[in-house]
Amino acid sequence: MTLWLLAGLLFTPLAWAVLTLLMNFTWGRLVTWVGILVQVVVSLGLWLAVSRDGGFYYGLGGWEAPLGIELRVDGLAVTFVLLTAVVASACGWHAGVYIDADKPWHRYFWPLFWFLWSGLNAVWLGGDLFNLYVGLELISLSAVGLVALGGKAGALRASIRYLLAALLGSLAYLLGVALIYGQFGTLSIAGVVFWLEQQPVPAGSSLALALMVAGLALKTALFPLHRWLPPAHGIAKSPVSALLSALVVKASFYIAARLWLELGEPLGNLAAAQMVGLLGSAAVVWGSWLACRQQELKQVVAYSSVAQIGYLFLLFPLTFSVSESVSLQAQQGITLQVISHALAKAAMFLAAGNLILSTRSSRVDALTGVSRFLPFSLFSFGLAGVSLMSLPPSGGFAAKWLLLQASLGSGQWWWVLVLLAGGLLSAAYVFRIYRASFLDSEGPDQFYHPSRSLEVIPMILALMALGLGLVSDEVLSVMALPFEEEGSS
Amino acid sequence: MTLTAWIPLLALMTSLLASLVIFALPEKGYRLRTAVNLGAAGLKLALVAVMVWGVFHGVEYGLSFTMVPGVEFVLKADGLSMMFAGLSAVLWLLTTIYAVGYLEDSPNRARFFGFFSLCVASTMGIALAGNLFTFFLFYEMLTLSTYPLVVHRGTEKALKAGRTYIIYTLGGGAVLLAAIAWLHGVAGDLPFKEGGHFVDADPDMHRSLILIFVLLVAGLGVKAALFPLHGWLPQAMVAPAPVSALLHAVAVVKAGAFGIVRVVHDIYGLEASSALGLLEPLAWLAAFTMLYGSLRALWQVDLKRRLAFSTVSQVSYIVLGIAMFGPVAAVGGLVHLLHQGIMKITLFFCAGNYAETLGIHRIDEMDGAGRRMPGTSMAFTIGAFGMIGAPPLAGFITKWTMGTGALEANMGWVVVVLVLSSLLNAAYFLPLLHRLWFREPNGSWPHERHWGRLETSAWLFWPPLLTAVMTVMVGVLASLPFSPLSWAELIVLREYYPDGS
Amino acid sequence: MAPEWVLVLLAVCLPLLYPAMALRAAWSRAMRYALPILPLPALVLALGTEPGWQLDLPWLLNGGLWAMDEVRRLFLLLTAVLWTVAGIYAAGYLAAHHLQRFCVFWGLTLAGNLGLTVAVDVGSFYSFFALMTFAGYGLVVHEGTDEATFAGRIYLMMAVLGEMAILAGLLLGAAAADSQLLTDLPEAIAESPRKDLIIALLLAGFGVKAGLPLLHFWLPQAHPVAPTPASAVLSGAMIKAGLLGWLVTLPFGEIALPGWGSLMVAAGALGSIGAAMLGVFQKRPKAVLAYSSISQMGLMVLMVGAALADPERAPILVSIIALYALHHGLAKGSLFLSAGLALPSGRLRRAWVWLLVALPGLSLAGLPFTSGALAKLAMKEGLSGDKLSFALAGNLAPVMTAGAVATLLLVLRYLWTLTGKLEIGPNPPMLSVGWLAAVFVSLVAFWWMPWEAEELVKSPVWLPATYQFWALLWPMLIAVALAAVALVASRSVKQR
Repeated sequence: MTLWLLAGLLFTPLAWAVLTLLMNFTWGRLVTWVGILVQVVVSLGLWLAVSRDGGFYYGLGGWEAPLGIELRVDGLAVTFVLLTAVVASACGWHAGVYIDADKPWHRYFWPLFWFLWSGLNAVWLGGDLFNLYVGLELISLSAVGLVALGGKAGALRASIRYLLAALLGSLAYLLGVALIYGQFGTLSIAGVVFWLEQQPVPAGSSLALALMVAGLALKTALFPLHRWLPPAHGIAKSPVSALLSALVVKASFYIAARLWLELGEPLGNLAAAQMVGLLGSAAVVWGSWLACRQQELKQVVAYSSVAQIGYLFLLFPLTFSVSESVSLQAQQGITLQVISHALAKAAMFLAAGNLILSTRSSRVDALTGVSRFLPFSLFSFGLAGVSLMSLPPSGGFAAKWLLLQASLGSGQWWWVLVLLAGGLLSAAYVFRIYRASFLDSEGPDQFYHPSRSLEVIPMILALMALGLGLVSDEVLSVMALPFEEEGSS
Repeated sequence: MTLTAWIPLLALMTSLLASLVIFALPEKGYRLRTAVNLGAAGLKLALVAVMVWGVFHGVEYGLSFTMVPGVEFVLKADGLSMMFAGLSAVLWLLTTIYAVGYLEDSPNRARFFGFFSLCVASTMGIALAGNLFTFFLFYEMLTLSTYPLVVHRGTEKALKAGRTYIIYTLGGGAVLLAAIAWLHGVAGDLPFKEGGHFVDADPDMHRSLILIFVLLVAGLGVKAALFPLHGWLPQAMVAPAPVSALLHAVAVVKAGAFGIVRVVHDIYGLEASSALGLLEPLAWLAAFTMLYGSLRALWQVDLKRRLAFSTVSQVSYIVLGIAMFGPVAAVGGLVHLLHQGIMKITLFFCAGNYAETLGIHRIDEMDGAGRRMPGTSMAFTIGAFGMIGAPPLAGFITKWTMGTGALEANMGWVVVVLVLSSLLNAAYFLPLLHRLWFREPNGSWPHERHWGRLETSAWLFWPPLLTAVMTVMVGVLASLPFSPLSWAELIVLREYYPDGS
Repeated sequence: MAPEWVLVLLAVCLPLLYPAMALRAAWSRAMRYALPILPLPALVLALGTEPGWQLDLPWLLNGGLWAMDEVRRLFLLLTAVLWTVAGIYAAGYLAAHHLQRFCVFWGLTLAGNLGLTVAVDVGSFYSFFALMTFAGYGLVVHEGTDEATFAGRIYLMMAVLGEMAILAGLLLGAAAADSQLLTDLPEAIAESPRKDLIIALLLAGFGVKAGLPLLHFWLPQAHPVAPTPASAVLSGAMIKAGLLGWLVTLPFGEIALPGWGSLMVAAGALGSIGAAMLGVFQKRPKAVLAYSSISQMGLMVLMVGAALADPERAPILVSIIALYALHHGLAKGSLFLSAGLALPSGRLRRAWVWLLVALPGLSLAGLPFTSGALAKLAMKEGLSGDKLSFALAGNLAPVMTAGAVATLLLVLRYLWTLTGKLEIGPNPPMLSVGWLAAVFVSLVAFWWMPWEAEELVKSPVWLPATYQFWALLWPMLIAVALAAVALVASRSVKQR
């Protein structure tokens, strides 16, 4: 049963990618929608299986690590798989309606979409460093392709820039992987951990970790390596932006976090942890500040991503040489932040896309009067904003609460200030949008009204982000399930 | 889930669902929307009435579940929460009626009523919250749901006011969150409990407890408009009258004051707060705010701004009442939670009526309006005298109880403050009344409208009259069971003698 | 006879609910003619029931209690009678100008004034007192002239200050007594460590209403500008509410307070003589009367001071004060009402009118066979130096004499100014009836009222003993002589 689920999860996207490559946009859309259904069912099934029986290691095709593909199927991974299924299907559905079928190059959207999905699943479930790398590359390349679909010269420029950043990041990561392999002779993270438990830490292995984390930080667009992100996310088609902001950057962060949690204690040091936290804080402040100053709606949302990603990196200081319970709180908080940001940001980009479609302009000040004639999309945008501002009862709030507890519990009170200031700064740019839309216009309704389904999708996502806080205990309890140590040892 | 868990949840849900339904209804569905609005308000009133009856007889309503690891989401109905819930349920019904009339023919009604219901749902949540975390949840929800109401007009001025409002309240919210999180770190998840949690607090904790208290009061003080955090309140006056009424009487300002009551009574406990030396400074701050608000009100020429500064002053009565260490004073503070709501909503309804019917916004335009709008002006007069504290109206009961309490608590200076505040209240309300009744109108009204038989639309006419009658009744009948005074006494009895002796 | 509680509720609620008639403009005529009916239940209550009943209203405010004793009955009677005759007068007097508004405030003021005489719990007493004060503003500024508005402002400012002093005083008193009943207050105040503060607050607070010197400024402003029937009740009944406030709250008979007593005696002397000195220079009749009221209240303050200083004499003095208040209220009421008359054209009839105008005035001055003579003699008896034991007791007699001179001087001045003011023409019938009723009550009906004070003043003692004639008359003669001198002097000044 699990075999089938895993096979479905990893290979359906690839199969669909190939399948849609052969079709035009309209047919691709039809096929994709069927595929989405399959993926959702499979993801849900896997999630249910894990939440019933607990996590496990799974050697794909019977090949054990270090040679084969080793999958690590635990609560966290299946939660992210499910998250991916939700967000990606929402984006796929939205894109099917949103993207113009007449432009010939748009037919490549579907294959790229599916490649991206398969890459994401590979990363969530990947258990060894090289497979993670492959998944990461798959993601990066398809993401660059998706950005380039914007079609205009600006989109191409942005995608090239994105490509360069991604390659540079991959390079650094690969270097780190090579160093690790050289020192430990294994690519499995569990293997490395096992090795480190037996023997003293070899000199220079910290460098390997640093290289990997730096490469991943570049891919995640951590301040000050964030410059590639806003143009790429801003100029892409809205569903694409949603995918990129919600999931793609999370994939590289996920790897970095896994590495840190497993290897950080032996290989990292306090200064590095605090340094990363500081960069994250700078990202929160700087990203929010820039978001306040953008004139274009999607740029605001894109810079908001930079800021929100900053929170994620607080994981590093908050899990380094602290008590078990504080570390757990921090991990839970960051997990919630990833999920809620994914849902909220996807909702926000999709809603922003709708708003741009309606106002026929991408500028913030074109929103005047929107609240009167297009309340629905604006409302989705607003609800997503609630989660970004980390106000209750959203998932963002639950995440912030846990991080606050972790900061206070570990005595690192300075992160409290960052968390609170970040919330206020995000309020500043979210309310800037509200403000623009509440300004009343005299004239009659001159807006284009997008179809209902376009409007409903971001609303669903936003409501999920909002409701996440109320059920966060259940969500987190799936992650805390016991792990069956059977795969590698 | 049992019935006792369902009822508070339903009370919360009535307005929440109403809000969602209203958002979904088309703008033109006027009748259906009004029906949903009034139906939900009536249903909620009934549910709250059931709970009031139950709480009086010792039934425990509530539910809880773990929301975030280590933190419970708790809804609970106790005496204090029923006081606030009752206030919001009654005044919501009236304000809804009023708002239906007030917003006749204006755009964006679906949006308005949607957020309006959401706002009341938050208020309900604040009332029923069983711990600080849950309280904070609804507290921030309130902030968000009132913003669209404040900026409803969509003018530059409204948006500016909205910005000020949001800066103040979100800032306050952040401070509050920090305080709650800190407290949680220090002491764990604390449910609201009569008598508080820190009676025998470890002396090592005192320093952090004091700091946390300061942060809590600062965070809550923004909404309660304590000096110097009151700046948003007068600006928020650009909102439509029903919103101002709700903001001042029921929702925002009261939420802050209610929160302070909760912190002092049910988190720290009166004895512990007093032992930590927290109450005396709070009392001074409240007293200063009382006088400051009144003084500022004197110089306002815009009617609603004057009322706003009056609110700044009046809400501090509540804080002052609980900051005096003594049961009678606490009764005075608590009872003002209701009394101020009823009186202030009357005044704002009336101000709205003048604006809507005659186009009067400034005080010097009010000359002779009493003859043109006797019903409204009568209500206004009663409300104003109530604020001054003239017997036998609601405000008198407050002042009398607080004064008695102050003497009992050996804080004679409070009586001086009360008297001074009353004098100032008289100084800024009585000239208004003189203008209303004894001046001749100067020419025509700025913008007059006619509605047939009554002086104004029936939707606008009855709510202020009803609240004016309530202002008289809660004063005259203060000793009846279930009157605000009796209810406040019940709460304080349970607070001071938690074991029911 | 209906039970007391029906009557008392009717007495208070009738005027309280009467303003509701203003909701219909068509009822304005009915409102006008309902004015005299409003105090009737109270009148029946005062005359028809024996003191001693009480009515528990536990649901009212902090627990209500309304009751009646001898002093309260006298004040209730005065209030009811005066408002009745003034009501009759007003029905004829009022113009159509804002008629309904006037009636609304009339009803509310009346309700307050009646209610405070029966209220025994602090809450309802203070409620009625405040109702009377604030509604009274409507009567003062009714004419709407600049002068009236100005007077109204002074009235209101002082009234609010007074209210606050009363509030603070009652609050402190009630806290000291740990009771909400006025009857418990005096004893508690006497024992309270804060008694001086409480007494000061109450003296000042009620003193505003009672026209205590230096707190009296509103009186000469407000009385002349108010409509005549309103001035009559202001000066006759409402001013006495302050006095009643003192009587029911201050610790009479509980404790000797020579300091406060002397202060009040001094204030009374200053009031009775000082007001007369200012009053004789007034040009408007009603302003003269206002000063006369202050002067007369000064004499009552004198007695209050003596009662404060000497607990032994206090009970009897309180009775005399009530008697004096009754006499003064009725006489002053009819004097005020006469200020709005028009004179008939016939010479003889005019003479009769002048006689009836002058008689209440002479009664004030203590003309034998009038209520004034009775009150003056009672006061003299009560304040006779040998029975009192405090420092200033010996100085009371000259002050009283000076007060008597001052009284008549003011009355003469009033009559003098009136001659220039009254026009010849017809009076509305209700107006004439009201005035005549007032005079009748003051001169005749007074003798059937329950003003007896045990032992000292008993019915029928309305015939002064011979030796007392002279005591009554010689101050009057001095006053007449002074007036004559003044008249001659002013003539000669004019001729030059």
